[in-house]
Amino acid sequence: MIDIVSQLADGFVHCLTPLNMAMLLIGIVIGLLIGVLPGLTLVMGVTLALPFTYKMDVTASIVLLTAMYVSGTYGGAFTAILFRIPGEPIDVPMLWDGYTMGRKGRPAKALGWTLVAALGGGLLSAVVMVALTQPLARFALRFSSPEYFVIVMFGLLSVVAIGRGSLANAFISMSVGILISSVGVDPVYGTYRFTFGSPILADGIEFLVVMVGAYGVGEVLTRLETGFATKPLDKISNARTELPTLKELKEIKGMFLRSAVIGDLIGLLPGAGATIASFVSYGIEARFGKRRDQMGTGVAEGIVAPQSAATASVGGAMVHLLALGIPGSGATAVILGAFMLHGIQPGPQVLVKSADMVYTVFASLFLGLALMCAIGYFAIRPLVKILDFPEAVVSAYVLILCFIGALSIRNNVTDLWLIIGFGVLGYGFERLKFPIAPLVLGAILGPIAEETFMNTMISFSNDWTVFFTRPISGTIVALTVTVLLLPFVQRLMRGVWRGL
Amino acid sequence: MHVVRKLALLSVVACAGSALAAVPVRAAYPERPIELIVPWGPGGGADQLARLVSKLAEPLLGQGIPVVNVPGATGGTGMAKLLAAPADGYSAAIYIADSHVLLAGKNPRWSMNDIAPVAVMIEGPSFIFVAQNSRFKTWQDFENEAKANPGKLKIATLGFGSVDDLSIGVIERSKGLKFVQVPFSKPSERYASILGGHADALYEQAGDVASFLNNKQMRPLLIFGKQRLPAFKDTPSSYELSIPVALPQFRAIVVRAGTPADIVERLSKTLTDMAHTDEYKKFLAEQFAVPDSFKDASMAPAYVSQQLEDMKKAMAAQ
Repeated sequence: MIDIVSQLADGFVHCLTPLNMAMLLIGIVIGLLIGVLPGLTLVMGVTLALPFTYKMDVTASIVLLTAMYVSGTYGGAFTAILFRIPGEPIDVPMLWDGYTMGRKGRPAKALGWTLVAALGGGLLSAVVMVALTQPLARFALRFSSPEYFVIVMFGLLSVVAIGRGSLANAFISMSVGILISSVGVDPVYGTYRFTFGSPILADGIEFLVVMVGAYGVGEVLTRLETGFATKPLDKISNARTELPTLKELKEIKGMFLRSAVIGDLIGLLPGAGATIASFVSYGIEARFGKRRDQMGTGVAEGIVAPQSAATASVGGAMVHLLALGIPGSGATAVILGAFMLHGIQPGPQVLVKSADMVYTVFASLFLGLALMCAIGYFAIRPLVKILDFPEAVVSAYVLILCFIGALSIRNNVTDLWLIIGFGVLGYGFERLKFPIAPLVLGAILGPIAEETFMNTMISFSNDWTVFFTRPISGTIVALTVTVLLLPFVQRLMRGVWRGL
Repeated sequence: MHVVRKLALLSVVACAGSALAAVPVRAAYPERPIELIVPWGPGGGADQLARLVSKLAEPLLGQGIPVVNVPGATGGTGMAKLLAAPADGYSAAIYIADSHVLLAGKNPRWSMNDIAPVAVMIEGPSFIFVAQNSRFKTWQDFENEAKANPGKLKIATLGFGSVDDLSIGVIERSKGLKFVQVPFSKPSERYASILGGHADALYEQAGDVASFLNNKQMRPLLIFGKQRLPAFKDTPSSYELSIPVALPQFRAIVVRAGTPADIVERLSKTLTDMAHTDEYKKFLAEQFAVPDSFKDASMAPAYVSQQLEDMKKAMAAQ
């Protein structure tokens, strides 16, 4: 342990060189911008930055990419809270409480909570990562397809269960999302599904197109209907950044810790990343949290749970990459590429052989988090001012950003038509009181659910009982059942009480 | 007046010159950046090769080579993008065995007539790997257990209909064995599956798991090829065990068919020069590639066609 602390201290010294600090700052700023742009995901951002690292020193390039990765999990919260448009898939849960809190006249407070959640979640996962790299990585290897499948099911079903409106509508919405995700070539046997002979559909529909369309374009259409007359918030421009008070923090310290641990653990798994972490954490909070009844009405827990889990997942994913050489997420896959280009192979020995570099990266995570929150703190005020602009003007820019994002997914103009289509769908859902989140989540998690389910069936010769008999997977199933059945039992009990 | 006459004269001379040479006037290729399409996601083997080529060939060519990732449909989406661009040498693509095998199947979306291979950049033999702590010490152990328990041993692969699938099919038929193939489209999950003990073996090229080999997390049981490889001299080859299949992973650079021959020649020459740099040789060694992997435009088309024949043969036996 002392060894780790002294190595980390060395890491801080190495990290404080002008080059590394410059990369850290650049990475944080670009990561925040990427987070803000809907459709431009942090994975794409990291990929775009990769060529710039060719000529750089290896430590500096990993510091740059990691910084982008961390702050990319944070930037999207701004657009989610201010405009109800998630900048990244991970920010979808932020719409329920974050946006609602903003609409209740406290956008600066909502952003303050986000900042604290990102900082807390990130720091905790960084500490865990430094202290427990090896054992955690070994634990993560015990997860296989059945475990991934049940985690994904938990995420899918909890988003249905936590909705405030009709359960049936939420279920239909999720099913439509899964149906959309099944368009294209089936990932296991290569069958063409719902392609109607069109090569464009054969490539499938990217979940980002669904998300940017249904939320971004759909939101603009909804505002267009009301003639851009959403009631302006009073005195927003005078709002100061409002950090939560210590008392408020104390009230939620338990759930804060729980969310960060969930995020860290899910980040560890090679088949799951920040998005699943964010949804699962929100789902657990909505079921087991102290104020579960008020979730969705703009409470702090609804902001802290997804944000702290999303940022915490970065540490988990980095553990997996450094200790095993297996990337735990899309962004770490690119970071692995950067390591390879510099002739470094992550794996058990990198912690010994390139300890200097590894601990510098660890140290940069700590410094990066602090820097990110400092930038976030000062950015909140000018950002909130945007809400003072005429809504029509802001909406025009939002549309431009949506289109840029959609085109950048795979350089395909068809995706632009698709986001318009999904925008109309999202608008229709909004009008008919169908929730959009299950639709988007179905599109995101549908393919992962399918592949992990098929893999389980193939590996265990069609024996579906493995989902219940394997220890980790069985535990998660038990959790899912309580999460889903509990509300019904409670509702029933309440009815019985009233009847008496 | 004087100037005008001079210009007129010049243009007449220029026209005459080009007419004599019987070629259209064209600025020296390349006069703008060449887009290199990677039909796969970032971070993988194809992507790494593209980024290395982009870095090393740029100074030789005097133009930038931006890399564009267009993943989807086993490389089909990226190939569609290449084939939609003009055949002017300003779009090229990384073309790998995993996409090439689609041509051996039904209704391929492109054919050999649509592409012009500029160079084969790397050829890496395929292996069967196990985790370092696996109970299988040799290929014989693995084969014996498969014989005793048919349909029980799991091999992690890229997917059905892939090169991996064909090779395993040949093992099964020539030895009368039955394996369970577990398809993982993401390499990270494929590797985690054997490290975590969820699959018994892995079909892969050594270059893609080099870090696991160097870190002593995985070891090879079998190499697909006619001979053993110097770096793995204790690993038996498929042919010596009478498994008649050797489908390597190759990664080539192709342009659209119909690209003018002098442009293909210019690209091929650049890549040849690049292949002779120490940095590229080091890359091949690190990737455990065949040392004479590189084939220029004079040999690449024949090589790529031969690969397709081999794949068809493995498939026909199914």
